[in-house]
Amino acid sequence: MRKKNKRAKQIRIFLFFGLLLALFIILIVSTVGSKEFNAPHKLALEVIGTAQYGMTRISGSFRNGWQNYTALINVREENVRLREELRKHKAINNEYREAVAINVRLSKLLEMKETIQTPTLTAEIIGVDPSQWFKTVIINRGSSDGIKDGMPAVTSEGVVGQVTNTSPHFAKILLATDPNSALDGLIQETRVRGVVKGGGAGFHMEYVLKNNEVTKGDRIVTSGIGDIFPKGIPIGTVSKVEKSGRGMFQEIEIEPAADFSQLEYLLIVMKKDPLAK
Amino acid sequence: MVLSILFLSGTLLLILQTTLLNSLPEWFGRPNLSFLFIVFLGTYLDIYKGAVLALLFGLIMDIFSGVFLGLHPVIYLGLFFFLQFLSRQLTVKESIHQIPLVALSYLFTASSIFIFTSILTPESRLYWAWGNEILQVLILSIICIPFFNFFHWLTTVFDSTKANNHYRRQKTGNRYRIQQ
Repeated sequence: MRKKNKRAKQIRIFLFFGLLLALFIILIVSTVGSKEFNAPHKLALEVIGTAQYGMTRISGSFRNGWQNYTALINVREENVRLREELRKHKAINNEYREAVAINVRLSKLLEMKETIQTPTLTAEIIGVDPSQWFKTVIINRGSSDGIKDGMPAVTSEGVVGQVTNTSPHFAKILLATDPNSALDGLIQETRVRGVVKGGGAGFHMEYVLKNNEVTKGDRIVTSGIGDIFPKGIPIGTVSKVEKSGRGMFQEIEIEPAADFSQLEYLLIVMKKDPLAK
Repeated sequence: MVLSILFLSGTLLLILQTTLLNSLPEWFGRPNLSFLFIVFLGTYLDIYKGAVLALLFGLIMDIFSGVFLGLHPVIYLGLFFFLQFLSRQLTVKESIHQIPLVALSYLFTASSIFIFTSILTPESRLYWAWGNEILQVLILSIICIPFFNFFHWLTTVFDSTKANNHYRRQKTGNRYRIQQ
């Protein structure tokens, strides 16, 4: 009788773990290679994203406190120097005042124009991909703010990346430097087109024929083709051109316009129908 | 109880790594604490608890890292079973063996991610940066022993069965003595 009970218990344990294993395998097989977040992924992003947001706030206050403390060390010397500088700048300031007033008016006009054409939304980066292989970040805006997959992310300096996944309050951005990222670029001076791919630290431009003239220092902007990124947003400048290799295309390396190591805030271009996939 | 504590600790490590540790300068290196945590699960936990946690952290890691879903669960589970196998065959719980174990496991994980991503997106160019990888291996090798000791202490504190065993083992005074 006891032996029978023991055997039944063993069978129950075996069935339980077999079922658990089967569920895990189904879960893994169904997700491998997919790029879409399902409900548990979104829920986890919501929960952990909130914690990341809190941690970013805490670390920000510590950083500010430390910066304030270090700033006090040389404050006396700096104060004397600044008073002298202030006296000089007061004189110059009067000249600039008029120019600044004009600039403010023009900037406001420009901002309004941009807002009407393609509205943007400011987002803060709250988490960065811990892996050395991928370049993604988490931002504090999500589908409840109107963010959709495929929306482009930019800074005032240039292209940053594209939204790949969203949850109600957070979203994941694939940075343009990620090897899986590709966007259509244009050499501003010669209007030669190519595909700009992420290369870890910078970009490289592909599919530019060897007979096209490309020189170091040429500026690369988005072409607007594909209707994902608005046309004319800076991508970077050509840092190296290699024509001696085999094949019909040049090897072009690009120095990014945006400083990816200093990213804090992004602008999400709120396109109505972003083409993401 | 111990599972919940480890789950919370692992989540906290992931949050720390994606926020605070990321603000460390790149030349200084950013220790991959989540990875060390998976190695800890593989060497110290039993197969059921460890596998469940490794899978869970793989699924969570997919959200915060990379582009393809399913990559981290597969690699973390692979690493977990590899470590389970090793910990049964060798005395990897000895501190001195943990350093090469961590280095080997890190290279195994990095190369697995490299190979899987290359297969999933053959058109993208991945770069194997030896400098970064060696720096990461060095950092992990330095911090692994205090890290494992801390988590071992944590699991012992929250796991009453282990705490009793630990106490009993200390009393014998002879680690090679055959248990009756």
